[in-house]
Order: sequence, then structure tokens, then C-alpha cells
Amino acid sequence: MDAVLEVEGLKKNYGSLEALKGISFQVKPGEIFALIGPNGAGKTTALRIVATLLSASDGKVTFLGHDLKKEPEKFREKISYLPEEAGAYRNLKGIDYLRFMARFYADSDEKTREFVDRAKSIADLGTRLNEKAGTYSKGMVRKLLLGRALMTRPHLAILDEPTSGLDVINALEVREIIKKFAAEGISVLLSSHNMLEIEFLSDRVALIDKGVILDSGTSSELKEKYRAGNLEEVFRSALR
Amino acid sequence: MKKFLNLLAKEIKELITLQLFISLLFTIFLFYFIGQMAKSEMKRAMRTQKIAVLDMDASTLSQQLTDSLNMARFQVEKLRGKSKEEAVEWTKASDINLLLVIPPGFGESLSTLELKEMETYSFLRSFSIVGSRTSVILGSVISALNNYISDDFLKKKIPDFSPEKLKKPVRSKDFVIIKGRMAEGSASSIAGFISNQSLFIPIILMMIIIYSSQMVISAIAMEKQNKTLETLLTVPISRTSIVTTKMLASAVVGLISAVIYMFGFSYYMSGFMGDVRQQVASEGLGRVIQELGLAPTANSYLILGISLFLAILCALAMATILGVLAEDYRSAQSLIMPVIFLVMIPYFLSFFSDIKNLSLPVKLFVWAIPFSHPFLTTQNLLLENYTAVFGGIVYMLVFFIFLIAIAARIFSTDRVLTMKLRFRRKKLLL
Ligand SMILES: Nc1ncnc2c1ncn2[C@@H]1O[C@H](COP(=O)(O)OP(=O)(O)O)[C@@H](O)[C@H]1O
Ligand SMILES: [Mg+2]
Repeated sequence: MDAVLEVEGLKKNYGSLEALKGISFQVKPGEIFALIGPNGAGKTTALRIVATLLSASDGKVTFLGHDLKKEPEKFREKISYLPEEAGAYRNLKGIDYLRFMARFYADSDEKTREFVDRAKSIADLGTRLNEKAGTYSKGMVRKLLLGRALMTRPHLAILDEPTSGLDVINALEVREIIKKFAAEGISVLLSSHNMLEIEFLSDRVALIDKGVILDSGTSSELKEKYRAGNLEEVFRSALR
Repeated sequence: MKKFLNLLAKEIKELITLQLFISLLFTIFLFYFIGQMAKSEMKRAMRTQKIAVLDMDASTLSQQLTDSLNMARFQVEKLRGKSKEEAVEWTKASDINLLLVIPPGFGESLSTLELKEMETYSFLRSFSIVGSRTSVILGSVISALNNYISDDFLKKKIPDFSPEKLKKPVRSKDFVIIKGRMAEGSASSIAGFISNQSLFIPIILMMIIIYSSQMVISAIAMEKQNKTLETLLTVPISRTSIVTTKMLASAVVGLISAVIYMFGFSYYMSGFMGDVRQQVASEGLGRVIQELGLAPTANSYLILGISLFLAILCALAMATILGVLAEDYRSAQSLIMPVIFLVMIPYFLSFFSDIKNLSLPVKLFVWAIPFSHPFLTTQNLLLENYTAVFGGIVYMLVFFIFLIAIAARIFSTDRVLTMKLRFRRKKLLL
């Protein structure tokens, strides 16, 4: 089947700094694709370009056959992006935040309700949803935002470090939710610096360092290729 | 449109915070309080004042003087059989603020107009307006007395002429001309009335501009500080809508705040100035103003409104661009300074000088500031300088379109995320 997202020779410069030096990858329908690498590798930069927040210095991004550069607005309806460090409006109640966000994607009140209900069950915050988001803990905000990102069942969910700042139990829950949505046909592009969690979570991974993709494939392919026990060891061998 | 309204509703909700309510309530309360205080002080000043008089002369003249004080609404407390020192001590111990000492033999040399000096003692118990008020009234009483004595003297010595003619042989009838219209009246009272009338426009404008720019800058800075901007920018709504809803919400909330603020401010001013309408009626100014065509018309209100509105739009667009530069709420507070500064320049210039008399480079500088134009509009309308009025409006419109284009551009490129001023680093260098 054709790829949902195709990235080819993507480059990004911040002034004289080359954050991405021409990376290429594909995300297939219903698959969880992960960019893994240390801090500063260029993961966030790559995801922000795909999410239409930044423009690429060079290269091409195609989504369902459309050029990202030409039709960013059409693209925005079909994706959702969970930024690495994101917050919710502190003066809005959790439930009002979800409703506010849902209205951008829904064409009827019924649809809005459907989206909000789905987000509610993902966020799993119970009655705390009726309190202002300013009173939430970091983990609660993260779950609220994950609910927001997945409620519309986007064609592509772009999740930047989805489990960052979560405790072990919450991180586990979040991974289960992502897996469940992917199983229902949503494609996921995510990033992480936690290589062990990725091994459990993703179908295919790309190892990225200093703006370059070192290697990519399923975790078992990579482990076999580098004769390693886990992805951390794979990454260490690939760096040499 | 639905999406636009959704966004607009959220922006307004975000701006109306408890903090805003509290600060607004506080300002109104403060203004109301000061206004009421000023009013009651004024009333006190108008009330009958007590004055202590030590009459050591006891002549007809000193008697007349005391009577005229009574007529000038002073409550006269006559001190008898006291020395000057005792009188001072006595007044000091009482709540009377003024002591008048008429020396012995005061009226003796009335025929040669060589009166002895009186002495007045003012006890400044507070430095409020009441204190100065008493001595002003006393001064006018003394000058009335001077007139009375000198007129009397002139009538006796030169019975063929009225004292009036003797003292003021040159008389004048005053006319004011504005743009071909002429009326009888004094130039200073008309200028005073006009500047009194237009006093409020600069203040209103300044309040609205400062409030709404602050709103828009904080709205953008808060998105950055709370890390909500990135999410908002990936939502399927045009970047122009994001910019315009922020500006619109800020304008609405800023306008409401400014109106509430003005409400408090008018209390404050009325405490000091009294009623302007009364003044107009008492001096027959109304007729003069009609004759000179200075009464505001519906058209002039409309033009002034357009001018004010454009100035607000310019401020909002400017603030939007500055807001993108802000990293967080705190740096937003310092970024508002350039806008406030640009409003202050024409504000103070229009108070303290006539812009027409400035040198050309300064004049050009003032004209280049969009906010100068509404300040000048009232005057220019009255003086029928329509070129200046419409030139200003066109200039502001062009300025606004230019700024909005820049703002929309910034919002549709990377810069909205990557542009920032690094205050912290600068501070380390200083
Ligand atoms: N707005 C920016 N301006 C300048 N440099 C940036 C900016 N954003 C990221 N970078 C730099 O680009 C590189 C890649 O960053 P990033 O994509 O955030 O990495 P990762 O998400 O893998 O940790 C880093 O060296 C970072 O310092
Ligand atoms: Mg990152």
C-alpha cells in the first residue's frame, strides 16, 4: 500500500546551524513510525516541518499525494500534532479546551460531541475535567493533550515525545492508547529519546543523530543487523 | 466563520480574567474616592470661613472693613481687649485660619490716603486647596476695599469725572475671528473652553491604545509562555484569522476597560473642575461658540471617530508584531513600552505646544507617528484644515495595512516560533 507520508531529502538550517542534513523516510497506513536519537538530533525540527509549523530549507514532504508546501491548510485538517512541551489554556476548563479544539475539526455539534467524548475517555481525568487547566499537573495536561490529538482520528498523528514527563504507570497507559489507535488504522509519526520504550511501541524506527538518519527498519531487523540485544546497543553500533 | 467565532470567543474568555476585574475595580474605586475627596474639599472651601479680627483702631473705617468681611461670607470673630501677641496665641489655639490685625490710628490719615498697614496672619494647618482659598478671598476683599476708598476719594477731589473713567480711560470691545467667522468675545475664554472640551479626547485615546495593545501583546505572549501557540498554529484555520481574532478580542476588551476607566476618571475630573455647562451658561460662551461655528457637528464626530479607530488599529497591529518578539508574559510587559512611548509624544506635545510652531524635522517626526493624527484632528476640524485631517486618515490607513501585512507574514512563516528577543542575555551584558 502507498505511504501516507513521504519525506525526501529534508534539510533545515537555523542560521548557520544545519539541524537537518537531508533526511528521508516514509510512514505507511496504520503504522507507528518512530524517530529515535539523542537530544538535539533534529527530531523536533523534523516533526515541526511535517506539522506545517516550520518551512523546510530544502527537500519535499508529500501527504496522501499532496505537496505539503502548496496546500498546508488542507493538510492541517487531516493531521494532529502533539508538541514536545505543550500546555493548555490555563483559564479554560479541561472540558472547554477539548470543545474549543473539537470545533475546528467538526462540521456539526454532534461531531463535536463525538470528538469530545473520545478525548474524555483517552484523557481519563474524570471530574477534574471541569476544573481550569491551570490547576492540572504536568501528567494531567499531557493526557488532556493526547486526548485532544487523537479525538479526531486524524490520518496522521504527529507525537513529539508523547510520554515525556509522565510517570511509569501513565507512560504505560499512553503507549497502550497509541497502540490501540494505530490498530484502528491511524498512522503515527512519533519521536523519542527513550529507545527501550520505542522498541515496544513502534513498528519501524529511524535512528537519527546530528541531523542525519543513520539507519532505519523494524527493531528486530536492526537488532539482527547489528547483532545487538536492544535498540540502545543498535544505536551505539550504528554511530561507529 | 464558525471557526472564527470559536476562536474569537476563546480569545475574549482568555483576556477577561479575575486579575483584570480586580485592577479595573481598584482604579475606579481610587478615582471615585479621590474625586469625592476633591468635591468635599471644594465645598468646604466655599463654605463660610471664620476669620478673627483684632480691631485696635475702632474708627468708622475699621468698622466698615469688618462689615464688608461679613458681607463676603466671612464669619467674623471680633477679639476685644487683647494685645497682638495674645490675639495670635488665641487664634492659634482655635480652629480659625486667618487673623486680621487693624493697627491703632488706622483710619486717621484717610484724607491724605496715608493709611497704616494692616497685618494678616494665615495659619497653614494643612496644605490643601482650602488653605490657599481663604487668602485668595481675603485678597479680593482687600482689593474691593481699596476700590471703595479710592473711588470715594476721587469723587470728592474731582467731582466732574466718574472714577471709572479716571482709572480706565482706554476701553476695548473684543472680537474673535476664526476662518472668516466673527463674534464678539474674548479669545482666551474661547481657547480655554475648546481646550477644556478636547481635554478628554487625548486621555480616552491614550487609555484605549495602552489597554488594548497591552491585551494583544499579552495574548500572544501568554500563548508562548503556556506553550499553546504551537498547537494553535497546526489547527485548520488561517493564520490571518488567528491574528485578527487576537486583535479584535483585544480591541473589544480594551475598549470596555477604557470606557469603565473613563467613567471613573470623569468622577475624578468633575471633583476638580465643577460643571463645564455651568461655566458656558454663565459667560454667555454658548452664543459665541455657535456664531464661530465651533459647536461640534455629527460629521466632525464621525471623522474624529474614524481617526481614533484607525489609530487603535495601528496600535494593535504594532503590538501584534511586538507580541511575537516576546518570549513570555514578563518580557511582553517591557515590549509594550515603545507603543506607550509613541502615544505619549503627541499626547504631551498637544498639551504643551502648538505642533505648527515646531521646526520642520520635529514636525515630520510627529506626523510620522500615526497616533499624532487623532490628537490633531479636533483642532484641525475646528480650523477647517481638511487636508491635514484627511491626509492623517489616509496615512494611518496605509500605515495599518503595511503593519498588518508584516504581522500576517510573520505569522505564516517560521518566524512566529523562532523570532524572539533575548532579554536575559542582554541583562547579563549590562
Ligand atoms: N528555533 C531554533 N533556532 C535555532 N536553533 C534551533 C532552533 N530549534 C532547534 N534548534 C537547534 O537545532 C538542533 C536540533 O534541535 P531539535 O530538533 O529540537 O532536536 P531534538 O528534538 O532531537 O532534541 C539543536 O542543535 C537545536 O539547538
Ligand atoms: Mg525534541
